[in-house]
Amino acid sequence: MHLRPFLLSALRSVTSGDRRYHLWMGSLTAIMLVGAYGYFVQVTRGFSVTGMNNHVSWGLYISNMAFLVGLAAAAVILVLPAYVLHDVDFARAVLIAEGVAVSALVMCLAFVTANSPGLPFKWWRLTPVIGLLNWPSSMLAWDVIMLNGYLVLNIVIPFYILYSHYIGREPAKQKYVPFIYISVVWAVSIHLVTAFLFAGLPARPFWNSALLGPRFLASAFTAGPAFMILLLGFIQSQSRYAIPDVAIDKLATVTTIAAQANLVMLLSDIIFEFYSPTHHSLSARYLFFGLGEHHALVPWIRTGIALNIAATMVLMIHPLRRNRRWLMPACATLFVGIWVEKGIGLVIPGFVPSPLGEIVEYSPTWVELCVTAGIWALGLFVLTILVRVALPIELGEARSPHLEQAAVNKVVRPRAARPRYEEVRPVRFR
Amino acid sequence: MSDDSAPARPATADDGGILQKPMDRRGALGFLAGGLAAGASAISACSPLNAATPKEREIRLLEWEEFTQKHYRRMTEAERAETIERLERLAKLRDNEDVTIDTTDAQPGVLFGYAFNISKCQGFRSCVEACINENNLDRHADTQYIRIFEMEDGVVDLDSADPTYQHDVPAEGHFYLGTQCFQCANPPCVPVCPVGATWQEPDGIVVIDYDWCVGCRACMAACPYWARRFNWDAPEVPPEEVNPNQHYLGNRARHKGCVEKCTFCIHRTRKGRLPACVEACPTGARVFGNLLDPNSEIRWILANKHLFRLKEELATEPRFWYFSD
Amino acid sequence: MNRAMRGAVICVSVIAPVMGCREGHQVRWDQPPPGVPLVQVDSATAARNAALEPGVLSTVQATPVLRWKGPDQRPFEVALRSAAPEAGHSRTFGTITLPIALRTRGAGISQYPCTSCHQGKKVVMANQRIADAHNNIRPVHPAQTGAVCSTCHLADNVELLTLMSGEHATLDEGYRLCAQCHFRQVESWAAGAHGKRLDGWQGRRVVMACADCHDPHSPAIQARIPFRAPQLERTRGYGP
Repeated sequence: MHLRPFLLSALRSVTSGDRRYHLWMGSLTAIMLVGAYGYFVQVTRGFSVTGMNNHVSWGLYISNMAFLVGLAAAAVILVLPAYVLHDVDFARAVLIAEGVAVSALVMCLAFVTANSPGLPFKWWRLTPVIGLLNWPSSMLAWDVIMLNGYLVLNIVIPFYILYSHYIGREPAKQKYVPFIYISVVWAVSIHLVTAFLFAGLPARPFWNSALLGPRFLASAFTAGPAFMILLLGFIQSQSRYAIPDVAIDKLATVTTIAAQANLVMLLSDIIFEFYSPTHHSLSARYLFFGLGEHHALVPWIRTGIALNIAATMVLMIHPLRRNRRWLMPACATLFVGIWVEKGIGLVIPGFVPSPLGEIVEYSPTWVELCVTAGIWALGLFVLTILVRVALPIELGEARSPHLEQAAVNKVVRPRAARPRYEEVRPVRFR
Repeated sequence: MSDDSAPARPATADDGGILQKPMDRRGALGFLAGGLAAGASAISACSPLNAATPKEREIRLLEWEEFTQKHYRRMTEAERAETIERLERLAKLRDNEDVTIDTTDAQPGVLFGYAFNISKCQGFRSCVEACINENNLDRHADTQYIRIFEMEDGVVDLDSADPTYQHDVPAEGHFYLGTQCFQCANPPCVPVCPVGATWQEPDGIVVIDYDWCVGCRACMAACPYWARRFNWDAPEVPPEEVNPNQHYLGNRARHKGCVEKCTFCIHRTRKGRLPACVEACPTGARVFGNLLDPNSEIRWILANKHLFRLKEELATEPRFWYFSD
Repeated sequence: MNRAMRGAVICVSVIAPVMGCREGHQVRWDQPPPGVPLVQVDSATAARNAALEPGVLSTVQATPVLRWKGPDQRPFEVALRSAAPEAGHSRTFGTITLPIALRTRGAGISQYPCTSCHQGKKVVMANQRIADAHNNIRPVHPAQTGAVCSTCHLADNVELLTLMSGEHATLDEGYRLCAQCHFRQVESWAAGAHGKRLDGWQGRRVVMACADCHDPHSPAIQARIPFRAPQLERTRGYGP
């Protein structure tokens, strides 16, 4: 009874907005169309239009996928305190975090699909009964299960909560809290499994280390909350949805600690590779210093690490971290730095040199760049839609028309009734 | 779309009210029907039933069946025969080639082993040429399963070896070492495939079901010997150079988007013949045989020569040894 | 919090044992893949030299080597020797006892048979230089070893080779001559570690003789230009 109005109300929230909103969605759509064209070229002409080759067989797509799984996993930073530890400050931000997780997972699955010519039409081969899912041997099979399962969890739980609020009922804790517990463990697992995908290959000594899993988690918990801070700050300034400043402060603390851990792990990696270099360190040497005349990645990684270090140092200074004018750029810088370090700076050097010592470099072609841009636009599009749907419900503006007014007043106090923080304390950054 | 609970928004709204334009039922139905007609015509343009010639139509119908093909290991004998018939028919229709695709299983009591004599190899690359011709490898991308490395005397180090030499061979002060898929006893490429498209056959050959492979290339990342190749494009072989003696798991025509590799010439070796590289080598540097036969040549070499394998520490147990005189 | 701990413990205890198990044991090179029964082969059935009869010399065709251009390019004729020692060939080198089949040299030697020119007359072998009729002979090997023509060839019958023991070997038994000095290589050859095998890996074992690859007068394998080098891939772009 309430579902149709819920969907219609959601559709209305998504399709109505001011000019800036339509411009945003319009440009995302345009980028998605460009990406679709690139994908079309890739599918019809074959993967030779990409920059990948028999030596560097994974490129921009898997790089982005590895990074985005981290972004998805980082929702746990908000889910764990909000639902399990009952931290009220995060309660208002957690649905946004789950929306980020959903859009990041959609992007991950899109990148995996773009990477395999057999997908999406042969997707049924990955299913257990009609296809053949090579579980538990294959880490990719694990990843398929984990990513899809986490996507389902992050759609079902917020949907239940939003729908309950929409129909004016408090969501029943015993119905969704067990799934929350599962999703907390699951979040850490998705990223560990993605790390094991790389770390479990003795053929690639650059990846084959015990530190890769923890390093993935550290960089995920850096980039994820950094992105959340940017997004929450944006929501704070652009909408009436009140997010407590203290939530952003706590997130910034988490980001800082994780960024420090990430740098410590980087240091550990560098000592490991370069204290007593062996042939196994050639990939690291290629990445940081270049091998002979092959040095395409050196400027990238040095920039990425410089950005990471600079942002971490800014975040470590308390007054700066609490000042939005420093916090936001630092988070954006950290996000980009982690993307460089964990995306291109992880996947490509694993293939250089090849297991037989041959060096073939990689540079993405316009097709890969278009498809990547299209998928990022898709992720932002999905994120905008989810936030746009969630906010009116959480603000109490969207409610089912079939409710009795009396019942609404009795059961749920609309959240907007609480004093808005900007009335108490002005928001400093717009 | 009209919603009873919300009034139509005025034209002065930010979006010009276009999304809340009131429309009557007839108009809405007409709009939907028009959209349906447009979509249906788009879909029918791509369907097999709209092919230009009967030959094209048959090709498209056969390709559709290929899409729903089962995994090779799950096929019954009848299904295998049907699949082979379809593949042979497709080869005839597409490229006008009469091919025989074999499905011979592994012989019992056979485990293939390979030995490579680094004293004898002179770097001629006759093996590479024979492999390309025998296995219908893509001429456009110049796919080569075999790589010959020119190595400096005294150093068994692939990182400093040169596979791109092009001068009179043998060169002074160097020796030559060839690599290909080693058909490891503990293949690291087999467990990583998410769809189980690659497995090890009872006679030791690691094979790929090309039609089942989705092209994720995890096996290529996992192979420590760089043995696997991907079809980035549709492979092209000139019709007069196609080898018509093919095996389903070996040298049949592959399509773009699947992984392939050396299969020890499965279409030859399961019938008792030697792989093309072994036959072609002018110096007799390559030896091939049955590891389970105590009197075979390969077993004698393992017992009496000084051998090594590449990357022994990875515990892949390659069934490919290097020895010297 | 207790419920969370319980849930976590359950999850870990279910996932952990499942994750690590990849067969457990490593397969050795002489073991078939897991699940495949080990079937040992005995030498009698492995040989399958059905065409052999003891003491009989028979000539059969062997499969030509795939596109390999040997000293001549004709299909190979093969002489099958039996397992019986009476056939006159020493087939035991170390542990090797399998019968071997040799390519008959006759068809491969230029200007064969020798008796077409040297009819019953004793050949005068000028031990310092090669006669003009065989001007395709480059005496590299004799120069290296200090051998002269009569070291290997019998003046009375140039279709026979002389051995140090005083015996004579036919041109088909050239390996007996080579084995006098190159005994290690001949042992490897008889076992299969040296030289080429024709036909296939299964069935009768047909091998090539020494002189099929090594010209006895200039035995080294000649240098040549190799087949084309691989192109290490560069990015293949494609325009929009």
